[in-house]
Amino acid sequence: MTFIQLVLSGLALGAAYALVALGFVFIVNATGAVNFAQGDFVMAGGYAAILLSTSFSVSFYMLLPLVAVVTFLLGVLLAWVAYFPLMRRPPATVFISTLLCGMILQNIFLVAFGPEARSGPSIAGAGMVRFENLEISRQSIATIVVAIGLIALQYLLFARTQTGRRLRATAEDRDMARAVGIPATSLIAVTFGIGTSLAGIAGALLANQFFVSPTGGIPLSVFAYIAVVIGGWGSLAGAVLGSMLISVFQVIVSAYVSYAVATGALYAAVLLIFLLRPQGIFSERVQRRV
Amino acid sequence: MSVHIPYTVARSRLTCGCIGFLTVLAAGTTAFAADYYLPIVMPITGFMSVEGGSQRNGAVMAFEDSKGISVDYPVFDTGTSAAGAATALDKALSSGEAVAAATSIFGTEMVAMMPVAEEYKVPLLTISGLSKITESGNPYIFRFLPNDREIKVAHARYVKEKLNLSKPALIGDTTAYGQGGFKLLQEYLAKLEIKPVFEDSSIAPDTKDMTPLLTKVKQSGADSIVLHTVAAPMALIIKQARASGMDLPIITSSSLVEPTATALFDPAELANVCAETPSAPEARATPEMKAWADSYKERFGIEPDGLALGQYDGVMMALKLIGEGADTAEKIREAFHEATYQGVAMTYKSDGEGDMAHDADIVCWDGTSRVPGIAAHYAGEEMVLK
Amino acid sequence: MWLWLAKGIRVPLAAGALVLAAYGLFFASPYELRVLTVCGIFALLVIGFQYIFGHVGAVSLAQATFFGLGAYVTGVLGATYELGFLVTFPLSCLVPLLLAMVVGIPVLKLEEHYFALATLGIGLVVVLIAVQWQEVTGGTNGLPGVPSVRLLGVEIRDRLHLFIFVWSVLILGALIAYQVTRGLYGRVFHLVRESRIAASSLGIDVDRLRFNAFLLSAFYGGAAGALMAHVIRVVSPENLELSVMITCLTMTVIGGRTRIAGAIVGAILIVHLRESFRILESYTLMAYGAVTLLVLIAAPYGLIGALERLRARLIPEPVDSPPTARQLSALTAAKAGGEGGSLLEVERVSKHFGGVRALEDVSLHLYRGEVVGLIGPNGSGKTTLVNIVSGLYRADAGRLTFKGQDITNQPPHLISRLGMARTFQHINLADDLTALDNIAVARATRERSGLQKSIFTVGPDPCLQMARRNAMAAAEMLGIGPFATTPCGNLPYGTRRRVEVARAVATEPELLLLDEPAAGLNEEEQRDLAARIRRIADFGITVLVIEHNLVFLRSLAERLVCLDHGQVIASGSPEEVQRDAAVIEAYLGRDEAPERGQTVAGGDSERLASQR
Repeated sequence: MTFIQLVLSGLALGAAYALVALGFVFIVNATGAVNFAQGDFVMAGGYAAILLSTSFSVSFYMLLPLVAVVTFLLGVLLAWVAYFPLMRRPPATVFISTLLCGMILQNIFLVAFGPEARSGPSIAGAGMVRFENLEISRQSIATIVVAIGLIALQYLLFARTQTGRRLRATAEDRDMARAVGIPATSLIAVTFGIGTSLAGIAGALLANQFFVSPTGGIPLSVFAYIAVVIGGWGSLAGAVLGSMLISVFQVIVSAYVSYAVATGALYAAVLLIFLLRPQGIFSERVQRRV
Repeated sequence: MSVHIPYTVARSRLTCGCIGFLTVLAAGTTAFAADYYLPIVMPITGFMSVEGGSQRNGAVMAFEDSKGISVDYPVFDTGTSAAGAATALDKALSSGEAVAAATSIFGTEMVAMMPVAEEYKVPLLTISGLSKITESGNPYIFRFLPNDREIKVAHARYVKEKLNLSKPALIGDTTAYGQGGFKLLQEYLAKLEIKPVFEDSSIAPDTKDMTPLLTKVKQSGADSIVLHTVAAPMALIIKQARASGMDLPIITSSSLVEPTATALFDPAELANVCAETPSAPEARATPEMKAWADSYKERFGIEPDGLALGQYDGVMMALKLIGEGADTAEKIREAFHEATYQGVAMTYKSDGEGDMAHDADIVCWDGTSRVPGIAAHYAGEEMVLK
Repeated sequence: MWLWLAKGIRVPLAAGALVLAAYGLFFASPYELRVLTVCGIFALLVIGFQYIFGHVGAVSLAQATFFGLGAYVTGVLGATYELGFLVTFPLSCLVPLLLAMVVGIPVLKLEEHYFALATLGIGLVVVLIAVQWQEVTGGTNGLPGVPSVRLLGVEIRDRLHLFIFVWSVLILGALIAYQVTRGLYGRVFHLVRESRIAASSLGIDVDRLRFNAFLLSAFYGGAAGALMAHVIRVVSPENLELSVMITCLTMTVIGGRTRIAGAIVGAILIVHLRESFRILESYTLMAYGAVTLLVLIAAPYGLIGALERLRARLIPEPVDSPPTARQLSALTAAKAGGEGGSLLEVERVSKHFGGVRALEDVSLHLYRGEVVGLIGPNGSGKTTLVNIVSGLYRADAGRLTFKGQDITNQPPHLISRLGMARTFQHINLADDLTALDNIAVARATRERSGLQKSIFTVGPDPCLQMARRNAMAAAEMLGIGPFATTPCGNLPYGTRRRVEVARAVATEPELLLLDEPAAGLNEEEQRDLAARIRRIADFGITVLVIEHNLVFLRSLAERLVCLDHGQVIASGSPEEVQRDAAVIEAYLGRDEAPERGQTVAGGDSERLASQR
């Protein structure tokens, strides 16, 4: 029973992290670049939720959509500042530019909200739901439900709609997409927006139970990066599965050994995956085209 | 509400920032108009900036309250880093003939600043709890909060003697603060013949999910949790424990006795939680304390904490000694070793190594308010375990 | 000497160095000396970082790890075991070097983003160890009491002496970096950064080179960390942290990622910026992030690079006169190898990309001295075949023999060293190297250019001089002698194509693979190129040309091979093949899209496959 309780707890956090990693993959697929500010957008979402609920008294029905809009716009801004001016340069350049944008964001949070951890508004009310011996907080249930909903939504968007097909075409070859009349630039900007708004929503969901702080996003960027590597570079399903896997793995190892071992084992596992299955756990091997 | 910007203009952070910025520029370029120079070198940014901010407020308040002695007291940011602290102190001490410097709460920074203090022969007034800074034989360190070595005695004794608990779970984090306190608690609980039923000191300060930890605590059959961590993981542990129905007593280190930390809780979640603290000005237990706390709140717009008060008393003591003729760094250093000073929080007297404060409170929350009440007081000999 | 100074912005830099030295030695206050000392340490760290990040272009996030590790070695050995500088300093450099050796071999093979994450992961593991292994490291509180530098019985404690000492180490480090990068070896780095595949197909062992760069980074990082421990006198995990890494990255980006002066200027600038804003650092950090971003966007080569480019625009650089050509002796001797024997045998090679069959059971023989054209519609697998032959792709099945040796799945640089060279459909040149130097890089293997050799070279690099003379010969063969001293980025497209061919020729190959050499050339240029390739073939070099342009091929090839859907559908004289029904069907049966579209389609299906 303890084991199931732990897995449940890991999944609740994993669901939110899956959104972060999913957003990360969107941007990877659209641009081939790593957005190392992804974790800072989680914090941006959390802070936006705090600001909206305290200063503007936004009700919780409107909170998530508004946070999504705010972080979407920030993501579009990120594309214009950190990606478009550098898109003809090696992808590493974008890695650095997003890292710098993350740093700017962290300091904006610091100046605007102070250095201390802050708790965000509750989305689903306080309290726990008990089932037999298992318990899960209402907030966690809300997180899982929202995450599943958004993951399903993005699947529908990409697989079933014209916009989704165009987004995919742009991701696969920007110049080709442009040649056949797809507005690639705005679609890439939109992809950035979707990617960061997923992080932002995750932030709004997590802020209540797990707090936000100016530099709290850095480990989340690393987490998303690792999840995407484990799931397979560029794989959407892999990102979701990777996040869940890491999250549950962390909880189980922390519970049965210790937190330090869990962290160390995660990094060791990543290095091992690089050695043995560089294509990721859930992805087949593909050779790079010259 | 954070306090990481010079206090002069209370409301607008931006204006605040600009003015502070100009102040610093001015301090760097103009000759000192004041009679004495006593720089403030503290973590104004970085992860210790909340504590550094309190500390800075306390120092600044003391300078403002000093009558008849004109002191120049520019603020230098250490950035919560050892290398930054050494350089910042170097900058501060080379910018003028300092009689003393009010320096960081962060032990790692203090360790890095100590050789610089020795080089310039200037006493440092600190509130860092890290034991080894006064125990390494450096004669320039004066500490105005109890040494962790003493305050952890109060922490452990309260668990044993007042609460009669025998099966605590002992938890620390991986920060400098957490690692130091954890070891002392381990030592003292053993001396009090308490064997923690569970120990874990590997909690990283950015850990989110405490379920694994709490599961292990539950399984160990602990009757209480003894915590020594920084504020964020502490809040997560307490909140998640309460949410999953664990209502056992929790006795924490002083990081919880901070307005910014208690703001993370619903008052009800704090029921049955106690914490050690060098002093608890927010409880306003004495008339002096109340007057001081009200004045602090009026100036800075936030509730005070023991850190601010410790630094306030330390600087006030220095100013008093200056007023009595100790007008050079060396004279102040000698006077600190000799003098006794009645501050707002307690009476300060050096034990010969530069530890000036030997009092501690245990405060507890009753579940109705975020402001705690004083539950026990330890002083002098009570803070030493043979 | 004067000529040396006349290049780039060396005059103002030399003047700046003198001013800095005078300021440090005679005018700086103790505090300013400490700041300058810290600048020197960071400059050393950044020079080290430039090897891996700047010169070979890999985003390593382990530089702070090497720095912190160096600091810990000095801290633990100095404070706990009271060992002297002569023991602790070399060990501080060696321990990070060892770590780099152990992790470097697997990690350096990874693709860019994986490499960045892997180095980050290694760093996080080291932080974890430093925090948890409290008995040795003192945990997060750190280890105080690091002794000051004691050298030959003299204690270097005084600020001025420490400043002189640290900057002496920095100057030594800078000198080594200068030696490593100034000659042919440095130009090899340059090409590796611009194009790993181009470098490896010229016989350069890219993995080895990246490994060397990584080791150098670690060595410098450790040295800088050791000095930092002596200056701050306490070691703690903060030296290992991401913030140090970001500082290092920022200094490198701002100063210039391949310039030694850039490292020093970047370090001085950033350290002083932070010092002058010791308060309100959150505002500063915001501005500092924004400024770095601006530099990244507006000045991709950093401040030093931007100034150098400004200077070149205002006062043109003195142009070296091109060297006299020295004949490529092996090339002229190739004919002696005899004609008619089998040179390359491709036996039943298959290659799949995900579900897409790029090649199916392809067999092809090339005989010494012949010129063969490889034709086929878009996506028929021509480039894939060349990639497999030259070792860039692994064949899924089949066997390749070159000069009687089995080369199946050999790495490209070894295949190249056997005597095979190629060009690329998309030009793979280093734009800011001159045409001559681009070609000269091809001589690196033959000149046995290496790390130790370049460090200990005094005076002009003989490898570079010799390589340039040989390169000149190759350039003249392709008729691009007059452009030899022009940077490739400034050359017209047709000329750059010829530079690529010249570079391949300069390796003195026995087999030359040309992937669409005539693409984008006008008729006049095509005729000229065909004649020149013909002349190269006349030396006895076997040539395989991928081409669409049958007119171009007809004047050149003796034999044509046609691929379709990854299979050979025809082979024979140009006339025969052009009349072949299957070939006509293959070409006319579907739309003729531009060649650019072909790779796009191919890339699409593969990437799609990788996502599923």
